[in-house]
Amino acid sequence: MAESWIILQPIIILFAGALLTPLIESLGRAIKFEKVRDAFAIIIFGLSLYSLLGIYEEVQRQGQLTYFLSPYEPQVGGVSFFVDQFSVFMALLFCLLGLFVSIYSVKYMEDDTGLDKYYSLLMVLVAGLVGISFAGDLFNLFIFWEAMSLSSYALVAFRKYRWEPIEASFKYLVMSTIGSLTALYAMSILYGLTGTLNISQLAAIIPTLKIPSQIPYLIIVAIIAGFGVTASIVPFHFWLPDAHPAAPSGISAMLSGVVIKAGVYVIARILFTIFNPVAFDFGTILVIFGIITLSVANFMALLQRDIKRLLAFSSIVNIGYIIFGFGIGAYALNVYGTAGYSIATLAVMGAIFHIFNHAIGKGLLFLGAGCFIHEAGTRDLVDLEGAGKKMPWTGTSFSLGLLTLAGVPPLSGFWSKLFIILAGFTVPGNTFMVVTTSLVVLNAIFAAAYYLWLMQRLMLRAPKPKVERAHEVPILMVLPVVILGLITVILGLWPFEIMGFAEVATRSLLGLIGG
Amino acid sequence: MSTPDFTLYATTAIFLYIIGIYGIAVRRNMIRTIIGLEIITAGVNLNFLAFTILNEDLLPLAQYFVAISIVIGAAVASLALMITVQAYRHYGSVDLKKLSRLRW
Repeated sequence: MAESWIILQPIIILFAGALLTPLIESLGRAIKFEKVRDAFAIIIFGLSLYSLLGIYEEVQRQGQLTYFLSPYEPQVGGVSFFVDQFSVFMALLFCLLGLFVSIYSVKYMEDDTGLDKYYSLLMVLVAGLVGISFAGDLFNLFIFWEAMSLSSYALVAFRKYRWEPIEASFKYLVMSTIGSLTALYAMSILYGLTGTLNISQLAAIIPTLKIPSQIPYLIIVAIIAGFGVTASIVPFHFWLPDAHPAAPSGISAMLSGVVIKAGVYVIARILFTIFNPVAFDFGTILVIFGIITLSVANFMALLQRDIKRLLAFSSIVNIGYIIFGFGIGAYALNVYGTAGYSIATLAVMGAIFHIFNHAIGKGLLFLGAGCFIHEAGTRDLVDLEGAGKKMPWTGTSFSLGLLTLAGVPPLSGFWSKLFIILAGFTVPGNTFMVVTTSLVVLNAIFAAAYYLWLMQRLMLRAPKPKVERAHEVPILMVLPVVILGLITVILGLWPFEIMGFAEVATRSLLGLIGG
Repeated sequence: MSTPDFTLYATTAIFLYIIGIYGIAVRRNMIRTIIGLEIITAGVNLNFLAFTILNEDLLPLAQYFVAISIVIGAAVASLALMITVQAYRHYGSVDLKKLSRLRW
């Protein structure tokens, strides 16, 4: 038990950091050096990343860790934490992007006031995200979910002197709260039927229940719809194209890179672990949602003139790929039983790898877009034409981000899309899989077209008047962007390490099914 | 005093949920939208407690869940009201029709 306590370390560090930030702020005012809070935030994110690496090593050694923190025995429920490779994979990703965003915010948020609150909320956001990936029971998950959601509503409305963040934040709050309450409703039914909310206990009890077969599907649909609001699955995506542009660019990167991934993570974790995909056919539902999400968002992305709005729609597109990957995995397991295990592994591995690629790529794109907006003072694509010529470092990294999301071969985004599509084409005789995967391929080509078009506008056209006087942003802003760009190149050329990690995470997620 | 009926409580919970969704969908007033959210929260909390009628063993944890859920609901409502105050400062109104500059 004693060594399992390390599970709580990153969460405690982040929450303690959030509480201490106002004190550090007043200290900074006293010594007339206000940047001390920014340094403090970077140190806190660094520390939590370091403690996560400790957990990672422990998980590699033991397979999985559990920790109970409650007066109730584990059979009943109570507060429990459960960590396996998939959780650590997600938590490392969340913390890594948090670190990059805090470095970026030092310069980007320089002109804003109330930055102690900004960093506090950012830490609570990441603490909530790490808590979500480590939660071992559904109610604990719900609490961390709300911690994450509340801080992201507040961060979207951070520049509250403008009308746009206020409207976007209210819309986000209302939609997301309805979603999380729907999920809580599903949890209350699960609790009433089984008497526990512990995820591994639920997985053991659900198959033995004597209930009409519609009820589990009702719960599955409520879970997908509830968490799907935050994951921005079409038709629950309406908040996203407003909230992402309205937030400060660093927060857009957090929202698009990791918050919507948390929704996907929770859907995958609950559905694959609690409801055995061999017994319950939720794969079809996920595949259909994935196709609708891809097609609608791709079409909408073409109509945008606002650079951040375009990127926001492209986030929805990528959620479509991820949901589709998980869906194909579950579908294969449902149709072919344990014989479909290898297809499922390939598809889910592609989906998990794509979570990583999209988090890195879209984090890079939003931070890069923030650099352009910082220099040009506009989000309009027409006015931003040629900005990449004036800002070569940002422009080059931004183009790498666009190419990786377009799936251009040497970059990391290519591999994950390849796995998802290969998994869909493994069984030539299965019409459903072949048709849906063909639709995904068409959408991928369609998406690549507007990524390249965006790149051509930003990098190749003659600079417009608004970007005439633009020059490269400060080193602290360009550094995270360039590092993220380098990550996509390095992982594209040597994807084996991260693919191995994604595969271990997949096996751990599909572990209960066996194979 | 008759024993409490599970079906009655569970049906009320579903009705509260539907009333809340209806209120949010139909009313174009920020305060009423927040009230709608609170009604949904009440419905969900009631559903947690309704199941304890069937099985007494569920009671201690269900109470604990509901207590925490109420606290979270209060946090959401206070943040929503904060946003409403800011919106009132911008528009001089809490009418959601005036807040329709963002396209859906």
